Amino acid sequence: MKRQLVLTRSPIDEAALLLARPASPTAGAALTFAGIVRAEEDSKVIEAIDYEAYQEMAVHQFHKLLDAVEAQWPIESLRLIHRLGAVKVNETSLWIEVVSGHRKEAFAAAQWLIDEMKKTVPIWKRPLPTAS
Amino acid sequence: MNISVTFHSYFKGLTGIEQTRVELSEGATLADLLDLLYQQHPRLADMERSTLIAVGVEYQNRDYPLQPGDRVALFPPVQGG
Repeated sequence: MKRQLVLTRSPIDEAALLLARPASPTAGAALTFAGIVRAEEDSKVIEAIDYEAYQEMAVHQFHKLLDAVEAQWPIESLRLIHRLGAVKVNETSLWIEVVSGHRKEAFAAAQWLIDEMKKTVPIWKRPLPTAS
Repeated sequence: MNISVTFHSYFKGLTGIEQTRVELSEGATLADLLDLLYQQHPRLADMERSTLIAVGVEYQNRDYPLQPGDRVALFPPVQGG
């Protein structure tokens, strides 16, 4: 399985990522997921979420999850980008692409990966309230 | 033995520091380290049930036997995405 893992303080350029998708004659499904910052967190209006990571461990734990995905499903490639620092409302904080021969394994792998990362990858969010 | 400890997320606010070093006897476990830290930082003790512990980049249980030079990290439940 090809993999790309990026933790970045820069905005995620989803259009550029889609254009960079590796060509594959055996791929039949390309599933993308974008996690977006909502304007409300814990019933309060916010303008951004500040993401903090224990970066060395986060990279390690992400790779353990990607190893598990690779062992469990026939995935051709998996790209995962997670923002760090302040991410404004409506911006993408998490972008995942799973490419596989068929849709079933792409959906299953993406769902599992997102559920598990929220349990084990040391990233935390701190809502930043609006100035008013 | 000397152990380094880092705090992440709002645990930094609870302790008022990002990292510290502690001296423990040979054979000490993570539970022994926590006992010492809870004495120094009582607000951290309030979060005991929701504290995650890593040594290096792996999660460990409280009975983990510490080794000289171990890097311990304490933090609340993760919430990426």
